Amino acid sequence: MFRNLLNGRIDRRRFLQSSATLAAGAAVGSHFSTKASAQGGKVVKIGFLAPLTGPVAAWGKPGLDGCSIWAEWVNSEGVEIGGERYTIEFVSYDDEYDPTKARTGATQLILEDEVKFIMMLGGDPWPAVQPVAERTGMLVSTLLPSDLSPETTTLIAPAEVHPIYNVTGVEWLAQNKPDLKTAVICAQDDALGLPSVATYLAAFEAAGIEVLEAPQLFDPATTDFAPVVTKLIAKNPQIVCLDTCYADYVHPICEQLFQQGYKGQIISCTADFYDKIIEKTSKEFMEGFVFQFPDFDDPALNGENINFRRPNEFYEEYSRRFPGEWGAVSWEYASVMDLWLDAAKKAGSVEPEDVLAAMKEGGVGKHAFGEAEWWGEDLFGIDNALVGEWPVVVIEDGKAVIKGFGNIPAWYNQHRDLLIKSMEALGQMYYQRG
Amino acid sequence: MPRASAWTLGWLALAVALVLLPQALSFSQQEILVFLTINVLLVSSYRLLTLTGEWSLGHAVIMGVGAYASALVTKWTGLFVPLSMLVGALTAAAVAWVLSFPLFRMKGFYFLIGSFAAGEIIRLLWKRFQDPFGGAKGLKRIEPMPNLDLGFHHFDFFLPTNYYYFALVAVGICLWLMWRVERSPMGLAFHAVHWQDKLAQASGINVRGYRMLAFVLASGFAGLSGALLAHYIGTINPGSFGVEQMVFILTWAIVGGTSTFYGPILGVVVLTILNEIVLRGMGFEQARPLIYGFILILSVLFLPKGLESLVQGAMARWRVAAPRPAPVEREKQA
Repeated sequence: MFRNLLNGRIDRRRFLQSSATLAAGAAVGSHFSTKASAQGGKVVKIGFLAPLTGPVAAWGKPGLDGCSIWAEWVNSEGVEIGGERYTIEFVSYDDEYDPTKARTGATQLILEDEVKFIMMLGGDPWPAVQPVAERTGMLVSTLLPSDLSPETTTLIAPAEVHPIYNVTGVEWLAQNKPDLKTAVICAQDDALGLPSVATYLAAFEAAGIEVLEAPQLFDPATTDFAPVVTKLIAKNPQIVCLDTCYADYVHPICEQLFQQGYKGQIISCTADFYDKIIEKTSKEFMEGFVFQFPDFDDPALNGENINFRRPNEFYEEYSRRFPGEWGAVSWEYASVMDLWLDAAKKAGSVEPEDVLAAMKEGGVGKHAFGEAEWWGEDLFGIDNALVGEWPVVVIEDGKAVIKGFGNIPAWYNQHRDLLIKSMEALGQMYYQRG
Repeated sequence: MPRASAWTLGWLALAVALVLLPQALSFSQQEILVFLTINVLLVSSYRLLTLTGEWSLGHAVIMGVGAYASALVTKWTGLFVPLSMLVGALTAAAVAWVLSFPLFRMKGFYFLIGSFAAGEIIRLLWKRFQDPFGGAKGLKRIEPMPNLDLGFHHFDFFLPTNYYYFALVAVGICLWLMWRVERSPMGLAFHAVHWQDKLAQASGINVRGYRMLAFVLASGFAGLSGALLAHYIGTINPGSFGVEQMVFILTWAIVGGTSTFYGPILGVVVLTILNEIVLRGMGFEQARPLIYGFILILSVLFLPKGLESLVQGAMARWRVAAPRPAPVEREKQA
């Protein structure tokens, strides 16, 4: 077909037939990949409201894929809640990271699909979902605790405390590479980038690392990163911090850093699909890259403190089904489900208010990376974030390796004032938002 | 049946259908209906701008100006929400008026790029100033439309059905105004500026002035659509009015066609139903962009004059098929 196309011998009808077949094939594939299998008994539906298409899809779609594996495993083991047998089924709605679509999605999931719990990425779409969740009493989880405020009583952040865990990476750098004393930061100018900038600024200050210039905030529509990187490394920093850039930015920025001859340390919140970055740069260039999201085949995750169900096996299965798609959120939504299931079993009910009460009982919970506390009053105005230890990951010989776990509450207790000062300076405290 | 009566009956049937429509829809479809109604106003206002031959890339941002202005006015003054929506519309029109001085020193492609740049400046200002615009996170918990108790019915405007009726009335009035503008001497001048600007200028028409007028009027209506959106979803941020939204407006207008009043409306209705209801309903959630793009290519290949050309063709066939009244009957009808 392509030869014909190049030779100009393909007619319009054949082009359309081929394209239609391709579209239908892709569509059918995507349809079946999101369905959880039903195994009999009662069905409890869980809503998945996150971007599955568009520029933020990398923080939604891999999570849904992870949930499909989680559901198969859990359903095959058998789920018993309150003496009744259940099958867990995920219902997804692509919110495209758009508040209007998120509101529509929440309405559909709650009122039509009758889900008992909704998992969201959070961020811009959350404020549009908030009134729907408030009115219906729906329990919702977010990956972004910056969505939390004193009013969001049914919103929890049980998987990650973005961006506070980023302090562990900087702390590790300061302890293990004490010669690094200067840094620069760049981030997209949006709701994800700014609180992360505030956190990194506080973490660098706490570690005695000088930030050479004001963080460079680029527009999310940026596609050419050459000038961004040129300006970024103009002062010869020892550390380039990529903040919480989306994968679509981390990749071209790393490429530019490589092409413009940067040889220093890089630290980033995420490095999704880092093997692709290595392909575009080199193994040597990426050596020592610090970030926060491990591959789950890491032996460090087999410790007794880890609460995630069979992490190595999960990673293996995920990589088999979705090769090359493992990312920061592949395990996170599944880990939220672990927490939800434990709470539902404890409560003997799948109703949102019962599950929430059971989840927060005693003020502690089983986070994926160990026992953690419900925390956040200071920063978010409500103790609805589950915070404990978080891994520091370093790329060594082309592979992500956990180098240790940092304790977030311990860091916070030492540097609380710094973080709050930094958050306030960028208007990121809960009482300054919106 | 006389043609005039057929038209009256047609309009009546449409009005009844629009009133009954939410009852036939699911909860989520009612939500989509609200956004669709607002987008009908947005894309129709865009067509008003294109009447003078200029296409702008700043229309989504102008919509945002109305949204931000209305949200901030209710926050600061506690003004009754429908009134603050009008303030939002007027603010958008005023901003457009100010922008029109530099922008209408340009034409065609240069105007297109200039409008994009002006829009981006406004968007960057929203991001830059945490106070009062909320920075990148935007504004949250925007004052909702207050509930209304009419005795026979309590309107809780959080519910999509009630807000739809409110938006339907507002959009209906705006569409009627735009229709009247286009049929007025002012509208004729817009068309003249588009198709024969030199001739229009020679006839004493202030070409630049009419271009500015169309831009300001269109922006006022776009601002109102932004205000309607803001007070319904309760949150806005600079990303909501970015390039992506602008591409949607252009797509609706191009696929629907802009030579008739109903062309862009047809575009937004068909594409929204396709993208939000049909493709999602068929389970093609993640493949939607692929299929949507494919259908756009199809429409450009097979309907280069837009969906409106289908309606125009059908109307032409209907006119031919319908028996014309005898001359005496025609005189009586007249």
